[in-house]
Amino acid sequence: MRRLRAWFVRLGGLFNKERSGHAFAQEMESHLQMHIDDNVRSGMTADEARRNALIKLGGVAQTKEIYGERRGIPAVETLLQDLRFAVRMLLKNPGFTVVAVSILALGIGANTAMFSVVRAVLLKPLAYTDPDRIVTLASFWKADAGKGQVSGPDYHDWHDQSSAFEAMAYYGSWDTSVTAGTTTGTTAEYARATKVSSEFFRVFGVSPALGREFSAEEAKPGGGAAIISYAYGVRHFGDEANALGKRVQMAGKTLDIVGVMPPGFGFPDRTDVWYPANTIAPETESRSAHNYRVIGRLQNGVRLEQAQTQMKAIGARLEQKFPDSNKGKSVAVTQLRDEMVSNYRLTLYVMLAAVGVVLLIACANLANMLVAKAVARTREMAIRTAVGAGRGRIVRQLITESVLLAVLAGAAGLALAFWGSRTVVALAPGDIPRLAEAGIDSNVLLFTLGISMLASLLFGLAPALQVLRVDLNTALKQSVQRAGGGSLADRMRQALVVAEIALSVVLVAGAGLLLKSFVALQNVELGFRPDRVLVVGTSVPASDLAGARRATRFYKQLLPEVRALPGVLDAGATMAPPGQTFSDGGYWIDHLPAALDVSAPEAVFSVVSPGAFATLGIPLQRGRDFNDGDSYDAAFTAVINEALARQAFPNQDPLGHSIYCGLDSMNPMKIVGIVGNIRQHGPAREPSPEIYMPYEQHPQPATDLSVLVRTSMQPGAISSAVRDKIHELSADVPVKFTTMEALNSEGVAAPRFRTLLLGIFAGLAVGLALAGVYGVMSYVVGQRSNEIGLRMALGASQSDVLRLVLRQTLLLAGAGIVIGLAGAAAATQFLTSILFGVKATDPATYAAVVALLALAALGASYIPAKRAMRVDPMVALRYE
Amino acid sequence: MAEKTDVWQGTLALMVLKTLETLGPLHGYGIARRIEQTSGDLLSVNYGTLYPSLLKLEQEGYIDSEWGQSDNNRKAKYYRLTRAGRKQLAKEAQEWGQATAILARFLAPGEERS
Repeated sequence: MRRLRAWFVRLGGLFNKERSGHAFAQEMESHLQMHIDDNVRSGMTADEARRNALIKLGGVAQTKEIYGERRGIPAVETLLQDLRFAVRMLLKNPGFTVVAVSILALGIGANTAMFSVVRAVLLKPLAYTDPDRIVTLASFWKADAGKGQVSGPDYHDWHDQSSAFEAMAYYGSWDTSVTAGTTTGTTAEYARATKVSSEFFRVFGVSPALGREFSAEEAKPGGGAAIISYAYGVRHFGDEANALGKRVQMAGKTLDIVGVMPPGFGFPDRTDVWYPANTIAPETESRSAHNYRVIGRLQNGVRLEQAQTQMKAIGARLEQKFPDSNKGKSVAVTQLRDEMVSNYRLTLYVMLAAVGVVLLIACANLANMLVAKAVARTREMAIRTAVGAGRGRIVRQLITESVLLAVLAGAAGLALAFWGSRTVVALAPGDIPRLAEAGIDSNVLLFTLGISMLASLLFGLAPALQVLRVDLNTALKQSVQRAGGGSLADRMRQALVVAEIALSVVLVAGAGLLLKSFVALQNVELGFRPDRVLVVGTSVPASDLAGARRATRFYKQLLPEVRALPGVLDAGATMAPPGQTFSDGGYWIDHLPAALDVSAPEAVFSVVSPGAFATLGIPLQRGRDFNDGDSYDAAFTAVINEALARQAFPNQDPLGHSIYCGLDSMNPMKIVGIVGNIRQHGPAREPSPEIYMPYEQHPQPATDLSVLVRTSMQPGAISSAVRDKIHELSADVPVKFTTMEALNSEGVAAPRFRTLLLGIFAGLAVGLALAGVYGVMSYVVGQRSNEIGLRMALGASQSDVLRLVLRQTLLLAGAGIVIGLAGAAAATQFLTSILFGVKATDPATYAAVVALLALAALGASYIPAKRAMRVDPMVALRYE
Repeated sequence: MAEKTDVWQGTLALMVLKTLETLGPLHGYGIARRIEQTSGDLLSVNYGTLYPSLLKLEQEGYIDSEWGQSDNNRKAKYYRLTRAGRKQLAKEAQEWGQATAILARFLAPGEERS
């Protein structure tokens, strides 16, 4: 207690130093006087009395020193002193300070911004109760280690046989036509609808904020209840309380709203409406129909690995029991958070590593500047040492300066990060989950502080080492200009520049590879023409075959009317525009095997209208397109793509053969045409075999078609005319517009994001490295100007001098490039999985990187070289 | 000052407190003088120790100080015992008494291995 009080008083003592110092001097003075008075009284002469008192008092200065130390806190005082001195140093060299702080702020800002994104997307716990216990369960295909959706029967076995889970549920989610309320005049809109099995909400540990969950009765087939999101309630009913007891219409049914979820809950994909599975559409009962996604909540205390082990055992049991459908199929249990971001984990970590490298380069740059400064200050340091400052004290002074720089840069970097974080979010593909949550929070602040301190250590160490090595005697003897730290400082600076170049080679190589693969993606032969195609998403509510056939009639009426619109060249419809696929599975040629096994070759299943191929510019190679004759009652037909023709009919004519697939029925379909391949899964993946089926013959999957319109003008210009046509025919059909080009661009959004970001970082890295080269070469030229003058006096030409400087630059750059290439070869291995059409060891890319950096380094040394060429031999000689 | 003993570490504070209790408010010079006299001039108060010690006691709140006039009209800083100081003095004096008594018993001749 008392001790604490004393510390506070001492802390206070730091601030009114002047005054209390003065008071103590007075106290000592009065002490002295009283002593003299006493001495005089005891008979001494005035002089004697004074001398005696002074002797008795002892070293006044020493007493004051001890007293002073007791009054304040010496360590803090030294720190404050160092700090004051550091501030003065920085203010005295505003140019240096601004450049240093800016360079470092750039590095810290970029890191902070990137970290804020990584934290929001990858690290922050999900906003559910005990989020670590929420997992996803997926079918695990041993053959290709791929994860996939789950079949209904599999789910029930998983659920019933496992004990590791407190709750387990499946769900399925899509955009569909939903009408809020039942009054006429309200139009249908797209909304996110999710069917959920009974334990769904328990998995997240949430329950409705208003109302209740589904009753057992409502969860049975035919039940008509819905729970809506808070946002949907506010948007469509004014407020959430008003929504309770109202209704929504979807899939041709009317559902009662029995609950409203709390604000912020919208799993999955910002769901608007949840309804019990197995009520609107029956649950699929085939073990090979993988239609659902499964989530679970681990029992308290059960670890993920334990759950995984248990599920693996269940998967093995099912494999034995149902070999036809479950052979090679196991179960994968993954943390929900990891599953959500699995696509972006690598990209984000690569970017974080890249900005880390940028920061390293910035630090190397700063170390370089500080070493130069330390050399210039050698004399100052030597003098301070000479008058008694310990080396430790001087190093502490230097480190204080570094830390001050880092703190300033950290503050500036934070400001940059506010902006940078928003920029990264804006550049990023829209489908990165939780990206919007990126921002500066306390964790990010801590991170910034941490890297600032780390950086200050990194770049502060170099000059400190340099100072420790300086020999006091020589430093004092030399004049200011010549007081070099000698070759050590030079070597250190050169090593730093080599490191900078090496690090930038790594980044530039990475950026180069990504750029090359992005260009390759852009130039890939898609198999269709995406320009000037409007894509109109539509959704016709239907819950049964009759409803589905109404949908068919709707599209059959709509398409000719759209084709007749002015400016429309062609129109068609498809279940899934290129780049997305709707369904896939096994197929059989000519006859079905006795037992349907999972080893059949697989194809993408598509449902299209007549005219879809022409509208998309997919070439018809043999046979014919679908036409109005391919109706529901006619013999079933199919069109296959080239890949399927090659796979299933080597050296045969596919036309006239029949094909089977389990899209909605096992009817044989006669192959009537062959079309060219398109890249159904986006530009990065090879075309798969594909079976196209006419929409009239498959009404049930064909209620949510995308209408494709090829126009002679800007596709957007036609959208309102198309919307009017659709609403003339039906008010229940919501529409959404995009273009084929926009869809394509979304498909490459992730590679574009990666390429752009790494490109920016690589650019920063090169810029910083070049500044480093420039700094060192300028210094070298300055140091060697005497030698250069001598050479010129002895007959060296200007071009000889130029060669001299450039040769040294190339030596530095060459060393950096060689080291960097080795580093790049190692580092770019991590990119392999996100590269397209280019190997991580692409020689052309590496050659370009080498050329680029060598040229850039030469460019950076051009100004110093010119300065060297202008050295006046006479001036230089006079200095000798 | 070779023949005189410097004040032992740790006991100076106690002496200061006792001096202030006995004599009331007093300046640094007076305290030093009083300690030297009480010791029969066997002790020499080192001012480099006295003033930091006074400062420490003040920081801990055992004594207070204020400027005043000395007997022969000199300006001087007077130290005064606070209530906490009085308590501290009692406590330390008692502890000190105990410690010396114990030591005395140890050092008393003939009482070893009784």
